[in-house]
Amino acid sequence: MKRLQAVLPIAAAAVLFVVVWKLIVVVGNYPVFILPAPEVVASRFVRAWADGIMTPHTITTLSEVLIGFGVGAALALVVGYLLARSRLAERLLSPYLVAAQATPILALAPLIALWFGTGLTGKVLICALIVFFPVAVSTMVGIRSVDRGLLELGRSLRATRWQIMAKLEISAALPQILGGMRVGVTLAVIGAIVGEWAGADSGLGVLINLARGSLFDIPLMFATLLTIALIGVSLYLVVVLIERRLVGAR
Amino acid sequence: MRRSIDVVTGILILLVACSCNGTGNAQPTPPATPLKVGLGYIPSVQFAPFYLADQMGYYRNAGLDVTFQNGDDAQLVTLIGSGALDIGLSDGTSVIPAVSQGIPIVYAGTVYAKFPSVVFAKTSSGITTAAGLAGKTLGIPAKEGSSWIMLEALLASAGLTTSDLSISTYPDYGQLVAVEQGQVDSATGFANNEPVQMQLAGDPVTVLTVDSSTPLPGPGLVVGTSTLAAKKDALRAFVAATLHAMKDIITDPQAGLDAAIAVVPELAQDKTTQLAILNATIAQWTSAYTDAHGLGAIDPTAWQKSVDFMSGLPDTVVAKPVTVDQLVTQELLP
Amino acid sequence: MPARSIVAIVGPNGSGKSTLLRLIGGLLTPDAGEIRIDGRPVEGADARIGFCFQEPRLLPWRDVLDNVAFPLELAGVPRPERVARARESIALVGLGGFERARPHQLSGGMRQRAAVARALVRGPSVLLLDEPFSALDALTRERLDLELQRLWQETGTTIVLVTHDIAEATFVADKVVVLSPRPGHVVAEVPVDVPRPRDISMSTAAAFSEVAEAVRAHLAATDDADAPPRAVA
Repeated sequence: MKRLQAVLPIAAAAVLFVVVWKLIVVVGNYPVFILPAPEVVASRFVRAWADGIMTPHTITTLSEVLIGFGVGAALALVVGYLLARSRLAERLLSPYLVAAQATPILALAPLIALWFGTGLTGKVLICALIVFFPVAVSTMVGIRSVDRGLLELGRSLRATRWQIMAKLEISAALPQILGGMRVGVTLAVIGAIVGEWAGADSGLGVLINLARGSLFDIPLMFATLLTIALIGVSLYLVVVLIERRLVGAR
Repeated sequence: MRRSIDVVTGILILLVACSCNGTGNAQPTPPATPLKVGLGYIPSVQFAPFYLADQMGYYRNAGLDVTFQNGDDAQLVTLIGSGALDIGLSDGTSVIPAVSQGIPIVYAGTVYAKFPSVVFAKTSSGITTAAGLAGKTLGIPAKEGSSWIMLEALLASAGLTTSDLSISTYPDYGQLVAVEQGQVDSATGFANNEPVQMQLAGDPVTVLTVDSSTPLPGPGLVVGTSTLAAKKDALRAFVAATLHAMKDIITDPQAGLDAAIAVVPELAQDKTTQLAILNATIAQWTSAYTDAHGLGAIDPTAWQKSVDFMSGLPDTVVAKPVTVDQLVTQELLP
Repeated sequence: MPARSIVAIVGPNGSGKSTLLRLIGGLLTPDAGEIRIDGRPVEGADARIGFCFQEPRLLPWRDVLDNVAFPLELAGVPRPERVARARESIALVGLGGFERARPHQLSGGMRQRAAVARALVRGPSVLLLDEPFSALDALTRERLDLELQRLWQETGTTIVLVTHDIAEATFVADKVVVLSPRPGHVVAEVPVDVPRPRDISMSTAAAFSEVAEAVRAHLAATDDADAPPRAVA
């Protein structure tokens, strides 16, 4: 019953979304190539998965996102920790970090494709870049806001520098770090798509271009968008689940 | 808005004048028909005929009030299909899949009588024919779109397929660098862009085209079917005015360059290159067919060949069978 | 300070109570002089010392058992052994049954008990308490003071308790050390000659009142700027 109560508003919102979408199509009398109706997209989505168009592109994009996120988040953890614990590191690195963040990835993507080719490397790099900032900043903030009392406790228990970092600081900063990762993982999906737009053989970004620019199959384009959205939501939920397990019971 | 108010005031004054004279024989000027025209992604010298026709008053004199809008090919096709644009310059190879997907557009006038997408290579590469591409490396922006179809057609003419050479994708505008630096033996490009630039740089360049084997339809004037019915006269006038400007530019390319510079002042930075690009563009406007049937003419046989070829490709973009009658109309041509 | 005794340190703010405790605990290094336990000097944080802070400082992401076992974990004690020892320690402070509870599920008093259990888990010879019950309500504090006495009896640990509560100091301690502020000096050492076990009913006993009066008098004297400073013993 309680579960039902939790799920009900989510289901209601989803239904409302689809109904409003359908209404817009009907009232506006939009042709399929401007705005396909939800059922058209749904059936194209099912067909695209059934006939195997979607699968290879999804695998490509998903691996770019996961590897890019892994690399970016891992580096961000290290740098975020350094920034929190070393004023020098902060003064040296933060201008570059902010500048990198302020540079639109859209402008950078073609250059990265030029330098690193249109394969996996360039995409991983773009995903890692885009993930880096939110995770590094949230790690820095999280580590800085660790209760000094806990650090003193660690020292009173003769914890090594490494133990203090692994067992106290990282654990204590985990809510913030995971918050940054939640943002980062959805950005990584965008990064992969942008990277694929700059040049790629395969991936959901390629499929969007293919559906829109070559096939003029707008329902397929929407079905691809739906797949991308589902990937984003799933990855977000995975981080939230991890967060619940590690942090939720505090 | 300002203009329409002026027009209304003008009509009122004329009406008053007529009622006073009683026997006035002066016809009131009909209000100009607004036309929204879609051009390619970035304003450039390639659109000189439209700029020139506008500046010379060809459109205005034909009773048209023309506004330009830039967008990429897929965008233009859907905007034209939805009626948001009245007419636009779009790839013939886009019209075929778009119509097969039920987008209500037709190709109404040829601008590029040759297919502008080509394969180019340094002459020193030894590549002289499509057959010579076998076993070579080739750069392409994406394995889709007009360049990809052109490549498939070019290779097919030599009995080859895309698996007979090593293809790497390059981000847009990266192919020229890749060829010049020897990263690939050849690349796809546009007849009025990369080969021109290489020539200007003093690099002998070989260009392979599909026109003789599979005459794919190049960019042309595309209209929505409902717009075609509703504004036929205005659209006819537009096509005529545009063709007029094309003829002007063929005889005097400099006039075309000046018209483009008036719209895109940045083009004045390198007039030599821009003029070379324009000259290469002009060369694309004519073919044996247009020489025989007039500038802008549409060759139904060539379209039929292209439809057959594109429908037969293993990775075809033609969803449902289409006929040439669905794809092109001769109604707007002079 | 004699072994196996309870010493309370009282003094106004700024008299260096907490600093003294941190010096003993090896969290601060003395500019001069030396701290010794059983003749061996304290250099840096020391396993012979259990430290209890004003706040429980439990790790919110760990349950009581893992919090109490934390010092053993840091010392590299294998898991089965540290679980057993943590359970003992938890039972000792009367938190048996709450091993799997998270800190946020516990009351303030229970959290402080868990903190004491953690301080005791390594079997320290000295237990340092820095106003550990000051944030708790009076009833809980009284109960925990009694518990402290029981713990002391069961473990035989030397206890140093910093407090600003004179009643607590006299009730718990064998000796009350009075500090003066800025700079901190030992003003007096007042022995509490009340036999153990003591209980709440005795807290109003004459013996306690006398000691409390004496302590209060010494504290009042520290306010007097002309009071002659005395060197730290």
